[in-house]
Amino acid sequence: MTGVLPVGIADHVIDELRGICGDDGVRVDRPARVNRTRVPAPFRVHRWAEHVPDVVVLPRSTEQTAEVVRLANRERIPVVPRAAGTGLTDGATPLRHGILLDVKRMNQIRDIDLVDRTVTVGPGISMLKLNEVLRPHGVIYPDDPASYPCSMVGGRIGTGGWSLIGARYGHTRDLVISMTVVLPTGDVVQVGDGGGRKLRKASTGFSLKQLFMGHEGTLGVVTEATLELVPRPEVEFAAFFGYPDYRTAYESTGALAKSGFATLAGVVLFDEWKLAYLRRDDEAYIEQPESLRAVVALAAYGNRAEVTPAARALMRIGRETGGDYLGDEVSQGDWAARHDRYAIPLHGRAPDGQVVPMSWHCEDAALNYSVLPQVREEWHAIVARYRERYGIFDDWGMFAYTNGAYKPWGDYLVEIDVGIWEQQLDDEAWEGWVNCKREITEVTLKYGGSISACHGASREGDVEYVPTELGGAFDVMKQIKRTLDPNNVMNPGTYLLDQAYEETP
Amino acid sequence: MIGFLLSRQHPPEPRRIKDDVVMRFDHVYEVDPTLMQTIAQDDMPAWDTHRIVAHRWDHLDWMHDHWADAVLSAEDLEE
Repeated sequence: MTGVLPVGIADHVIDELRGICGDDGVRVDRPARVNRTRVPAPFRVHRWAEHVPDVVVLPRSTEQTAEVVRLANRERIPVVPRAAGTGLTDGATPLRHGILLDVKRMNQIRDIDLVDRTVTVGPGISMLKLNEVLRPHGVIYPDDPASYPCSMVGGRIGTGGWSLIGARYGHTRDLVISMTVVLPTGDVVQVGDGGGRKLRKASTGFSLKQLFMGHEGTLGVVTEATLELVPRPEVEFAAFFGYPDYRTAYESTGALAKSGFATLAGVVLFDEWKLAYLRRDDEAYIEQPESLRAVVALAAYGNRAEVTPAARALMRIGRETGGDYLGDEVSQGDWAARHDRYAIPLHGRAPDGQVVPMSWHCEDAALNYSVLPQVREEWHAIVARYRERYGIFDDWGMFAYTNGAYKPWGDYLVEIDVGIWEQQLDDEAWEGWVNCKREITEVTLKYGGSISACHGASREGDVEYVPTELGGAFDVMKQIKRTLDPNNVMNPGTYLLDQAYEETP
Repeated sequence: MIGFLLSRQHPPEPRRIKDDVVMRFDHVYEVDPTLMQTIAQDDMPAWDTHRIVAHRWDHLDWMHDHWADAVLSAEDLEE
């Protein structure tokens, strides 16, 4: 992107922001703004300038954050909270320019409580950094997205994140005990179970904590969070099984997920398209035989005394349901790589087979186990049609990953990974892509699923269907938005919540 | 012999592993160069390839150690 970037905010507001955050906490320079525009998901690069914020602020405290938000509310300027910017649904992408509120300088660990087993942090710390500090204490914070080394606690809350080891330890919403939230008016509240900062379960008042999970920055800014601590695992166990067909692998997935072992952290099923993609470009699969058509992987964590017998039983189930163990090297290496999928340089294939640079779009949904085979066929058929028509998409296959915290048997995070050659995007191709997403979403809803299990549903191609999926609950969302954010300053345009201000209360 | 010799930094000629994959060093896979016409492939000295591969293994070892005290081997379990 080239050219001048005008600042669409009055000088006196910039001066006030400097008075709040200090000169080094307010950035109007081009790199600071442009680098906080997009997220890793495919982006309309030909329309980059439409999403550049006017100013970036980096507050250091709840008080500074509240002052920034009060100022924005007074001046009716959009505010977009952003942590690491690793989300995949544009929650941290400014849709109306305005103030980009970057939380990275609120990265302190404020309290490690080994008695009541909590840690209290700012939203700008990554889980990897946090766990490095926690290690000498024999505890971990087990929130483990595929962006583990680079995503941050604040973004995980804003997205309502999903964890690779959530079957064992829970997902972000299960691991955050309480939060300090700056509301869109600048008021500061503490939310959790009841009024306690470190209580996992209370029955006092409404349970507001989940309201601030996955709101994509539309309801406020989290400035502090108290998190769960669990014992550092003595052992990790990973096993990858290969299968001659999808159906056998699907049945095996169900058997493993229903095994009932509390140490089981996750089971994931890779389909034939995923295997074809991996066999093309992944060192662990390039030389696997063509007879290998599907893979099921599992991981377990915990004390050696519990993981060892569970691992033996899981190996037996995997083999008895038709799986061939792929060996320790593949199992352990591939599993370790899954904590850090953002480090992978991506490329795909054009229809003529040529290698081209592609960014990674993972279209996700929450779906029940019973519908996985049919959804898989319909999703792939949709992507194949669009690939043939536009020539800039590539089907990288699907996976289905156990989704329920502590009860990993009934529903799955399902993703179809699609490579997109961004440099070839124009308005027509982008519209084609969005239409592809819409068709995928329609299949999800047809089978009783939810648009997203993991990433959020506020992207174009998804968000249009949120009122359909939620029905009357979407009206409640709008009423909450209008109540908490009377001037629509907090991430306006996201989640169709502008509609909250268009209708008579 | 210890030391950097420029003559040793030229990677060997690739050998074909599959229709669309070649290999110059053991276990280091490369896309068939004929499929790299749109995006030109970098010429990489041997030391850089070895550095990247070693770093990859370091990274995976680090990740195991980060998450647990030990890794349980299925092959050992079943012996």
